[in-house]
Amino acid sequence: MPEARKRALILGDGAAGTIMANKLRFHTDPSQLEIKVIGNSVNHYFKPDGVMIPFGFKNHKNSVKPTKSLFNHGVDYIHDTVTSIDLENHSVRAGDTGEISYDYIVIATGDRFSTEDLPGYNEAAHHFYSLEATLELRQKLAEFKGGKIVVGQASIPIQCPPAPYEFTFQLDQYLRLKGLRQSTEIHYIYPLNRVFTMPNVSSFVEKLMEEKGIMVHKLFNVDSLDPVSKTLSSLEGEQVPYDLLILVPPHKGQKLMTDSGLADESGYIDVDRNHLNYRDYDNVFVVGDATNLPISKAGATAHFESEYLANRIASEVSGNAFFESYNGEVACTTITGGQEAITLFFSYSKPPRANFQSKSDYFLKWTSSDTYFSAMLRGIM
Amino acid sequence: MAEKPTKVIDARGSYCPGPLMELIKAYKQGKVGDVISVYSTDEGTKKDAPEWIRKSGNELVGIFDRQGYYEIVMKKTR
Ligand SMILES: Cc1cc2nc3c(=O)[nH]c(=O)nc-3n(C[C@H](O)[C@H](O)[C@H](O)COP(=O)(O)OP(=O)(O)OC[C@H]3O[C@@H](n4cnc5c(N)ncnc54)[C@H](O)[C@@H]3O)c2cc1C
Repeated sequence: MPEARKRALILGDGAAGTIMANKLRFHTDPSQLEIKVIGNSVNHYFKPDGVMIPFGFKNHKNSVKPTKSLFNHGVDYIHDTVTSIDLENHSVRAGDTGEISYDYIVIATGDRFSTEDLPGYNEAAHHFYSLEATLELRQKLAEFKGGKIVVGQASIPIQCPPAPYEFTFQLDQYLRLKGLRQSTEIHYIYPLNRVFTMPNVSSFVEKLMEEKGIMVHKLFNVDSLDPVSKTLSSLEGEQVPYDLLILVPPHKGQKLMTDSGLADESGYIDVDRNHLNYRDYDNVFVVGDATNLPISKAGATAHFESEYLANRIASEVSGNAFFESYNGEVACTTITGGQEAITLFFSYSKPPRANFQSKSDYFLKWTSSDTYFSAMLRGIM
Repeated sequence: MAEKPTKVIDARGSYCPGPLMELIKAYKQGKVGDVISVYSTDEGTKKDAPEWIRKSGNELVGIFDRQGYYEIVMKKTR
């Protein structure tokens, strides 16, 4: 008798959920596996362009596509919000849809901005981590006539750890082009005793910051901000006044994960680092920013994880043996200013090396939204 | 060790900057006089955590080698 058709359910319609669904479709026979995705976004925004759009280096219209248009034939997309997850009964509930059962579940709901953790943030700070905030910041920068700009992040972890330094280098370039660099101080704050998490990349980036006259404040863990006196204070007792504050908001995993008992108060889900399954559930997986893995929260991470996981589930569905594991591989291209960039390759056991920057890597970054929408999200690379 | 920790964070298996961030979180939630201890297996934290403790004006009680991990102990003084 032929085996019953299995059901894969993917929660989340961002980078991880979309790549995962489309890759899994390529790897499996629709008669053997049904693939459903539930997600609540209307548009899919290519977030890496947040370090281009505020300066007019790219038009945001090319960075957004309707979410539902991005799923391959054979993936069933449901636009809805998941409200509870019941791992014991292999089911989830979503707003209008009601209960949905599964054989395999992949959680790819990303993370969220927990601005409630930093009072005054919404009044005082600008950022480039969502399209809406990025467009507001573009306006703010267009009106900027010189003064003191403070750039940094409110806490760790955040999505794309290099983005704050990329943004800072782009800002330096933009102010030079506008003739405002002489009349502007750029201050870069960072929570650790360096300018980036990974020590060897940090020394490379710090040297560039020095060359470009960017003032660095290390071991600056944001404690509070005062929108009236326009001052940012650190836990370590330092105070930095600003005219324009560009601060990546604090992040947390989704509250749904805490409420469903899958995560602690941080909202990030504990997963097996080599197999991506949650605890000892062999049909529950987590990919993308929703995990608490000790690697960058990046689309590139979601891409590598999905490649591993789609192969694994496909092998299981078709009854083939599968012996591979995920080793924490990530590759990402980061801007170092003046239309230059570096590409970093790393894994759990191999730290990245930052050797040289190049214009071709910048070009790669500049065109990455096209590659992303046409190939990466589609699961064909 | 003279002082008994008021809070112990077991960050073994977690990588830089995880253990330091856990320590900072416990510091924020604690009160002056608290003794916070972190267990870690990450070598980077051995350097990062004491630097942060000093810069933040708190007291580093000590770094102790345990079996297969080490323990960093700080006292919240401000
Ligand atoms: C400024 C910036 C620059 C970046 N640069 C890079 C870069 O250069 N390279 C790189 O690799 N990465 C980069 N990233 C990071 C990358 O964008 C993220 O890591 C990636 O989007 C993570 O994908 P995800 O699917 O896990 O989460 P998301 O893309 O956030 O998707 C999660 C999805 O789940 C949905 N969802 C959440 N909760 C529910 C629910 N209850 N029900 C239904 N749906 C739900 C959300 O609507 C969302 O669509 C950057 C990020 C930023 C902000």
